[in-house]
Amino acid sequence: MISQPRAGKSIGRFALSEKTLLSIKNLKKVFPLQGEELVALGSVSFDVYPGEFVTIVGPSGCGKTTLLKIIAGLLPKSEGEIHVDEAMFDPTREVGFVFQKALLLNWRRVLDNVLLPIEILKLDKKKYRSKAMEMLELVGLKGFENAYPNELSGGMQQRVSLARALIHDPKLILMDEPFGALDAITREKMNLELQRIWSESKKTIIFITHEINEAVFLSDRVVVMSARPSRMVGAVDIDFPRPRKLEVRTTPQFGEYAVKLYKMLEIT
Amino acid sequence: MKKNGQKAKSAWCKKAVEAIQKNYRSVLVILGFFLLWEFSVVWFKVPEFVLPPPSAALKHLFIKQADANYNWPLHIRTTLQEFILGFCVTAVLGIGLAIVFVWSKKVKDMVLPLFTFINSLPIIAIAPLILLWMGYGIKTNILIAFLVSFFPVVINTMTGLDSIEDDLLDLIRYLNASKLQLFIKIRIPNSLPYIFSGLKICSTMSIVGAIVGEFIASDRGLGYIIISAQYTMSTPPIFSSLIVISLAGAGLYWVVALAERLIMPWAFKKEQKG
Repeated sequence: MISQPRAGKSIGRFALSEKTLLSIKNLKKVFPLQGEELVALGSVSFDVYPGEFVTIVGPSGCGKTTLLKIIAGLLPKSEGEIHVDEAMFDPTREVGFVFQKALLLNWRRVLDNVLLPIEILKLDKKKYRSKAMEMLELVGLKGFENAYPNELSGGMQQRVSLARALIHDPKLILMDEPFGALDAITREKMNLELQRIWSESKKTIIFITHEINEAVFLSDRVVVMSARPSRMVGAVDIDFPRPRKLEVRTTPQFGEYAVKLYKMLEIT
Repeated sequence: MKKNGQKAKSAWCKKAVEAIQKNYRSVLVILGFFLLWEFSVVWFKVPEFVLPPPSAALKHLFIKQADANYNWPLHIRTTLQEFILGFCVTAVLGIGLAIVFVWSKKVKDMVLPLFTFINSLPIIAIAPLILLWMGYGIKTNILIAFLVSFFPVVINTMTGLDSIEDDLLDLIRYLNASKLQLFIKIRIPNSLPYIFSGLKICSTMSIVGAIVGEFIASDRGLGYIIISAQYTMSTPPIFSSLIVISLAGAGLYWVVALAERLIMPWAFKKEQKG
């Protein structure tokens, strides 16, 4: 079940096209540090197919966030290649990013926070207002559109940031430990909600976590990275039917996946 | 708690009661201070040219006096004009300069040291020079008010524009936001609390500037009254001027604080986590 960078293999849920949405080859990132070089990201290679939910797990400091920022164009890469199929999506406009922190602008009401990408991309704000309301309903925040961020709880704030990442209809959503700061109960709710949103909106998601259960529950494929100097250990395909219920976690198969990932992370 | 219909009203009443509970003590202290002053002057028979009672100062403001007949409306208007225009000019130029400095590090590195140098000059000491160059008048005093008060605005605004989490900028950078968008959507709104604290300092300093300008040379304004009343040893008009000056300074401070509440309502919302 461990697959090295795949060549158009299809997995359980739905037959993927041969074309990759995003293809990363030998990506490397080096930061200068007091005259020396700090390897933030050793050679990483993997492909992402349209509609896939790919999770990257690894210990803290293994360069997961760096990887995501390079994909988003927030950091320049040092070596390697990122190939984007521009026929499928425009990497400058059709990306959504959910950060570790909610990062809401506290001077804007919830609705205007959700509409921020529309303003930046200079799209018609009026046209997207009703869509923003729909997004807020989708993340369970109907009726909070006029609240200010500091009137919301942490979980609610993170859900606003999810709505904001989805408003401009991105094809690819990058999520950097979005639920890391949430309590376990809210986190499970958010996992279910994210699965629902993802299957309703047919997005491609690259998701970062260091929570193994979350990774197995959400993903079509889990990419495992090692501690620094970070490299890619391998990838595991998760073959559970969708939509998945929380009970799937009690199945022996779920446990097997988790054990496999723990072994790859060298936690035994 | 009452039912929904009365909720808004009772909340409003509660707010008013809270405001009174919070402020009545300070009002009492101010009133008490003036009463103590009034009666100690009478009891201890302090001569008026040393310390007049506050009632005498008020009398001079509202009732024409034979010995010191000043055209109060004209003088008050002049000082208020200098003070308020000085404040507005300082606010606009100070915030504008700070934006330019943060926008372009090159300009900042070139120009800011000169500004620091100018700011470290005691403005009172160069006021006579300014007068020499520009002559009497409202423009001179506005310029002095500006020189006295612009630096806190520039520094506070710059600090606000710079004190921003990188993540917050990444938030729109990944959508290829332009530098202008970064300023308008993130940096400037984020700096509002800093801008307002700069403006509050500026509101009390620009009246100092206006009065200093009038001290050096002028033929009208409250600073002029203070200087000319000093020559005739008639102290009540000096105290009348001081009362008006402090009211004006406090008034503008209050206006800035009110504007802050109106422009940044989010900062005054209580957190309701749950």
